[in-house]
Amino acid sequence: MTSSNLYHNSKAQWAVYAVFFIIVLAVPAVIDDSYTLNLLATFGVFAMLALSVSLVWGAGGVLTLGQGVPFGLAAYCMAMTMQMQAQTPDSPMPPFMANNSLTQLPLMWEPFKSTTTGLLIALFFPTVLWTLFGGLMFAARVHGGFVAVMTLAMLSAIGLLVLDIQPYTDGANGITPPNALLIAGHSIDPYSPTAYIIVAVALVVLAALSKALLAGKFGLVTHAIRTDSERTRFLGYNVFLYQTLLFGIAGFIASIAGCLFVMLEQYVSPAQLDVSFSVGMVIWTGVGGRASLLWAMLGALLINAGQTVVGDTLLNTWLLFLGIFFILVVRFLPKGLAGVAEWLVGFFLRRRGPAQHQAVAPAHEGG
Amino acid sequence: MEHMIFSAGFADALLLGLSVASTWLIAALGLTIVYGTIGVINMAHGEFIMLGAYATYVLESKLHVPFLLCLPLSFLIVAVIGLLIERLLIRYLYDRPLDTLLATWGVSIVLIQAVRLIFGSDPLYLSVPNALNQNWQLGFFSISVFRVFILAVTLAVSAAVWLFMQRTRFGMQIRAVTQNRAMAASFGINQKRVYAGAFALGSGLAGLAGCMFGVLNIVLPNMGSGYVVQAFLVVVSGGGSLVGSVISGGAVGELQSIFSYFADDTLALCIIFTLIVIFLRFRPQGLIAPSASRR
Amino acid sequence: MKTTRRSFSVGAASTLAAIASPHIWSKKSGEAWGATLKQGEPIKVGVLFSLTGDLAVPEADSTYVLQYAFDEINKAGGIAGQPVQPVIIDAKSDFNVYSQKMKELILRDKVIAVFGCYTSASRKAVLPTVIEFDSLLYYPTCYEGAECVQNDICTGPLPNQHSRDLIPFMVKHFGKKVFFVGSNYVWPKESNKDAKVWLNGVGGELVGEEYVPLGGADFSGVLNKIREAKPNFIFSTVVGASTIAFYKQFKQAGFSSSSMPIAALTTGEIETRAMGAEFGAGHFLSAPYFMALDTPTNHKFVNGFLSSPYNHSSVTHYNMEETYNSAYVFKLGLEKAIAQYGVEDVTSRKLRDISGGVTLDDSISPEGKIWIDSDNFNTWLTPKIGQCQSDGSFKIVAQSPTQIQPLPYFIYPALGVCTADGLKAPNGTIQKNVL
Repeated sequence: MTSSNLYHNSKAQWAVYAVFFIIVLAVPAVIDDSYTLNLLATFGVFAMLALSVSLVWGAGGVLTLGQGVPFGLAAYCMAMTMQMQAQTPDSPMPPFMANNSLTQLPLMWEPFKSTTTGLLIALFFPTVLWTLFGGLMFAARVHGGFVAVMTLAMLSAIGLLVLDIQPYTDGANGITPPNALLIAGHSIDPYSPTAYIIVAVALVVLAALSKALLAGKFGLVTHAIRTDSERTRFLGYNVFLYQTLLFGIAGFIASIAGCLFVMLEQYVSPAQLDVSFSVGMVIWTGVGGRASLLWAMLGALLINAGQTVVGDTLLNTWLLFLGIFFILVVRFLPKGLAGVAEWLVGFFLRRRGPAQHQAVAPAHEGG
Repeated sequence: MEHMIFSAGFADALLLGLSVASTWLIAALGLTIVYGTIGVINMAHGEFIMLGAYATYVLESKLHVPFLLCLPLSFLIVAVIGLLIERLLIRYLYDRPLDTLLATWGVSIVLIQAVRLIFGSDPLYLSVPNALNQNWQLGFFSISVFRVFILAVTLAVSAAVWLFMQRTRFGMQIRAVTQNRAMAASFGINQKRVYAGAFALGSGLAGLAGCMFGVLNIVLPNMGSGYVVQAFLVVVSGGGSLVGSVISGGAVGELQSIFSYFADDTLALCIIFTLIVIFLRFRPQGLIAPSASRR
Repeated sequence: MKTTRRSFSVGAASTLAAIASPHIWSKKSGEAWGATLKQGEPIKVGVLFSLTGDLAVPEADSTYVLQYAFDEINKAGGIAGQPVQPVIIDAKSDFNVYSQKMKELILRDKVIAVFGCYTSASRKAVLPTVIEFDSLLYYPTCYEGAECVQNDICTGPLPNQHSRDLIPFMVKHFGKKVFFVGSNYVWPKESNKDAKVWLNGVGGELVGEEYVPLGGADFSGVLNKIREAKPNFIFSTVVGASTIAFYKQFKQAGFSSSSMPIAALTTGEIETRAMGAEFGAGHFLSAPYFMALDTPTNHKFVNGFLSSPYNHSSVTHYNMEETYNSAYVFKLGLEKAIAQYGVEDVTSRKLRDISGGVTLDDSISPEGKIWIDSDNFNTWLTPKIGQCQSDGSFKIVAQSPTQIQPLPYFIYPALGVCTADGLKAPNGTIQKNVL
């Protein structure tokens, strides 16, 4: 992609990503208070969700309002794993089950007795389910707003189901594992630098892999599908396969985020499957810039930090401002804050003569 | 005897399904116009319903307007609000359908918060004439008068909208634009005006629905959020046409009533959402799509 | 791709460095997160309710009444001469925010205790943090019990207290057949289990049990089933805004409170006012407190609160009163702890342990004398039955003669008994913090 704007320069982009990665990883060296570390780690999880939305929506051109499905399901599986770590032969069953008239551990909880199996299920069951669901939609060549509505319906259905099967999920109360995650004899204290670093490394690796994926042939085909799926199909590409794969990858990233969220919070409830939470992810991504993985992540960080810092002083007006801000971004900055960055870089760091990028399709990625 | 009671209850559930269907349909009617005509996915539709309920509240308790008069007035008030939002925001986004979805989501947040700031978060109360607070007993069947009223209003409004679309000049223009934008434009139809009009009409219908939902249920700033997903599923599975929405609204209402008769309400909703997803897998264009391409 | 590899190695390096340093698996060793009081400094407490969003309807009032209570305590000289300083937080009706703000209160503000939460879901969201840092949560509302946590004190009624008198009362006055309607979540289902125990005790008959989605507003299906089952009365554990929809549709469906009244556990003054008194009149509520209670302490509370700047809705309902009492349970407990250990040595842990047996007599508590159970740290209280009048207020029609013991494991004797140290199973093993 030749462009006069340094913003579209692949090497420059990687350099900016590298700086971001280093900052993310270096945080524990600078900050040593437990509360801030834990808070930043949670933001890291949200950034991961924005990353996954950016993949599907920004790169794939398919708006998902149901990213909470893989996230929430993985979170539930993770909570079940951690809950079972606390059970002993003396009390083989999570306490809430006895209150729900169960006399023995239900079958669906059995696999979570083993931490390894539990973690594998948490990572792969939601991913596989989400990939199948995506496949179902893309095989029917569903697109545009329909995907949004179908993912939304799926999210509502699963949210209601989790509420309804109270004996297995404790309904609206959610699951609260009493202890921190135990891995190979180590308890991962959610307030420790270790917990932060696990999240940070996961974020950096996933972001780097996603970026690399989009920079290669896969990204090019995805871009073609986003621009004109019919034409891409006529060129002989299996559009269905690419779309489903991208959807599945995003589901996998959301699943990892779900696991890490419960590791940090020791808590999951149907609130994680709430429509407003999934729409929240889209808002973070949209404000940051859907077409840029980095800006999507920054959007998640900025909005959540904003809520923490000024949310208490502004009370009701915080959401009002967020809503107005979001409308303005959609109206005037369809590329989000990334668009501003792109313009600024182009304005101040113009390298070559007249713009020749008119003919070139705009690159998906931005620094 | 056991069998008798069972079938009477089941027959009641079927009748009730009609009433449930009418609430699904009236909630979805405005969205059918907006989505079917302009292709705008209006996520603030539920908040227009909410505005209709609050408009009724203000009319009733502050200005002492009788309830029956509140129906057309809430239609007008919300139609004007819708028109304003269309002029200020939506019209700039017609060529970016996914962005309208996001922008209208922003609008919904702003509307909820604005109403919270003005009216507070406490639930409010709408009163209706005593005649509507009754119950009818017809042999086995028993139904509240207000539900019959909603059913009647829904049928009347659906018929009126149908006539409007078929018989009036503006309705014809809307249909023309829906079928082929370019062709309609070449016949001198002002597309912008048609879109604005359709959006206002759709908003007004939501306001009318809100007026009745406020009586039936609860008047709260966030009362609309439940309706938007529901209304969308009706519109999308109906295919975006008026007839499609009537059929899918009817089917969904009956199914919900039947499922909740045999299972519980939560599970009934869950099954319905799943069925709609499966249905859309096999018929992504919905039941009856308007006879042309959009976008 | 080169950069990718570099960033991988950076990541790996800092991970290794992190694991190598000793403190890394736990919180920083030197950091004292446990709150302590200082002589001459205000006593900081957290107040964690939703001031905005869906949950604000009940929870904002809890914040206001706590501000009122702390003002009252401070005007009377504070606690052991030191003023209470509430740190007010808005949880935004968002469970992620509850959990995050609880961490902030404990770790940043170093409060000695937190008053907060209304729904069980939010309580469950904050409890892991409260337990982790051995802090203390005052939970001032009714809940389902079946929990034995060593870091909280609850001032609301448990199901075994809540419906104990209500069900026999209704059966006696209206007949044996009852229909249960509830919101679909944990508390209604648990409350209904207790209600069944009382129902069996008086030979009543359960003719139907239905749950509607939380926040749901369409009761047509349920009302249809009620019509079919022909009960003598309804026992309702529908909560929140759904309550209003239920009562309205109940009347619109042709049912009447005189022939088939609803006996509820949460439909208080706020709800009857919001639905319009004509829909509420004649129905029953069981609660430890009613605004209409005719005692000097309650008159003082009602008049004091309504004339204070914290009055927003001109009502004092059971949930506000339970919250108000929690502030005094805190005050008396802290005075006891300070007398025992001295100001500088009081911790949340010690405060909790010493609060067992703290008694509010009827000159403090508007609902009458209550005390904290020294085993399970719930509250001994007196449930009362009120009937809604045509103006939306309640008239007390029956009242238990004595305080009733809170029993969080009442319907689960096989699980054991909640003691101060944890859940004691029938075989003698004790398990701490059973959530």
